[in-house]
Amino acid sequence: MSAASDNVYLPKLAVLDRVVDEIAEVKTFYWHFENPDEQKAFRRFRPGQFAQVSLFGAGEFPASLPPSPTEHDTFFTVRNVGSCTAALHQLQPGERFAVRGPYGNGFPMNQYAGKNLVFVAGGIGLIPLRSCIVYALAHRDQFASLQVFYGARTPRELMYRDTLRQWEQSAGVECHLTVDRAGPDWSGHVGVVGSLFERPGVQLPVANTIAFVCGPPVMFRFVIKDLLAMGLPEACIVSTLERYMKCGVGKCGHCCIGVAYVCVDGPVFTYEQIKKLGEDI
Amino acid sequence: MKARILEPARVLSIVDRLRSSGYEVIAPFLGRGRDTFFEPVTDANRDRIQIHLPNPYYPPKRFVLPHIERLLRIHRHDGTYDIEPTCDHTQRAIFGIRSCDVAGVYHLDRFYLGREFRDVYYEKRRKNLFLVNVVCTDPERDIDDACFCVCADTGPAARDHFDLQLMDLGDEFMVVAGSAAGEAFIDDPMFRKATPAHLEKRRQILTEVRKQFKTTTSWFPATVRYVSQDSILEKTWEAIGNRCLECGGCTYVCPACTCFTVTDRHTGPDDIERVRMWDACALGGFTRMAGGHNPRRAVHDRRNRRFFRKLAHYFIQRELSMACMGCGRCVAVCHGDIGMPSVVEMIRRATAPVEKLPPAAQTP
Repeated sequence: MSAASDNVYLPKLAVLDRVVDEIAEVKTFYWHFENPDEQKAFRRFRPGQFAQVSLFGAGEFPASLPPSPTEHDTFFTVRNVGSCTAALHQLQPGERFAVRGPYGNGFPMNQYAGKNLVFVAGGIGLIPLRSCIVYALAHRDQFASLQVFYGARTPRELMYRDTLRQWEQSAGVECHLTVDRAGPDWSGHVGVVGSLFERPGVQLPVANTIAFVCGPPVMFRFVIKDLLAMGLPEACIVSTLERYMKCGVGKCGHCCIGVAYVCVDGPVFTYEQIKKLGEDI
Repeated sequence: MKARILEPARVLSIVDRLRSSGYEVIAPFLGRGRDTFFEPVTDANRDRIQIHLPNPYYPPKRFVLPHIERLLRIHRHDGTYDIEPTCDHTQRAIFGIRSCDVAGVYHLDRFYLGREFRDVYYEKRRKNLFLVNVVCTDPERDIDDACFCVCADTGPAARDHFDLQLMDLGDEFMVVAGSAAGEAFIDDPMFRKATPAHLEKRRQILTEVRKQFKTTTSWFPATVRYVSQDSILEKTWEAIGNRCLECGGCTYVCPACTCFTVTDRHTGPDDIERVRMWDACALGGFTRMAGGHNPRRAVHDRRNRRFFRKLAHYFIQRELSMACMGCGRCVAVCHGDIGMPSVVEMIRRATAPVEKLPPAAQTP
């Protein structure tokens, strides 16, 4: 092992393959490592982990890993929101950037074997959950039931539309979509994500269930309230936290809340843990 | 540990020996007024090295964790990048580091090297570092009104984690080796063997020196308990937060603070360097994400955060010490008088009576 290989701050060169528009200001970036060995090593990531993305000159930012390790492609889905993400949005296919990771604990999918999985996502909260949903579908026999509840503000703001269509048609997963404000092209449900639980025909299992909740803070609060009211234990609700991060390896201190460094102890926490950390979502 | 005796006139020959064996030696100097600082020793300033002086505000931490440190040098060419990590391999010795700062370096060791990821930049600097600790024995020059290492149990004489320890016994210096490198160093005819009388004198001096500290009411155990149990009232944090001017000074002078930020800067049309710089949790932008969401908004949240991180039992267990070394620098630099001893006292006073009340009396 050379000295450089154990340098946790050293990112590895990656090539951007193609860019797909998701919704306004959000794009999916397909990429691969220049070095095939690194690609192979990286693809051992777990759902719920993240990576540090380097755009040289602009800086580095943490990004969720939306692909499942069961898929072939590696990609990020990123909203153009700051200087680093803007630099990624300007990158053209064939150009180089750098990645290091994967980091974080990820969802303990093995522990969830035999359980009913309920995924509740709002807006771009589907990005980190996409990984587990695809993973669960690929290992369908390991889990009891799979349900996806996904909401966005408008039909145009639904993420991963092709994947959603697949899920809607798949027998392995029950997929419920909603929008806050429908347009003329929308014939589905209208209302907040929580309103999907009351829809006729929707049976949310309470026993032996793990609920994955990701979305904007307001949605998170209401969905948690709904789930707890249904009798789901706090320890069975899991989410991923988003924090300002510089290192991803538990050193820079920015993501430290309570006793946890989100980058190494998280980003996946149960609601029981989140409550104790004592900070806003 | 081996104890040796050295003539006062020969103390600086330790510096000379280190320099001639290839070390860059950092030593304390007097500036104008009260200013004191650590600086590399040269032939020109060698005779001005101070043994007794107030501990510099700018902690020697910067020789293991520089205030600004380059991590990577990046060169862009033909559509790709050369990425070169830049570690500092300088062999360095700090002569005259105080016991509180020795404890600070050990705390950083635990943090940067003792967890799942090792920080290679820190590791390289630390591996090449030789620490010559000086025990604070002069109540006039060594000990400040703000010093409270006696409360944090780090001084006035460090017990370990140094290579050599010097202690002024009045007409002689006692030299103690604290590592294999230190033992090899004192294996030299320049050092005489210490006698039991010397050890007795050391003990007497330390007993006397401990009485000279003015700040001795920083009673950590109770505060550590309150912080860890989360029994501190919100209004106590608010009272502390109200006094914070959000200057970040406390974190910049702290020998145990570890947080940094990372940024890229252009050094040429195709050259970029990635640097890390100390960061401060007192500053509002510390947790602000792109897009503006900030999970930690109020200033008292941020103060709460700093003192929780320094004093919570969970972290003490993990790093084997509180993240406060009792150096007193935060006391000296804080305009709002919320240095560590004040905060410890504010928390203790505000929390203790609440604990004593029966549950019924607590409800308004």
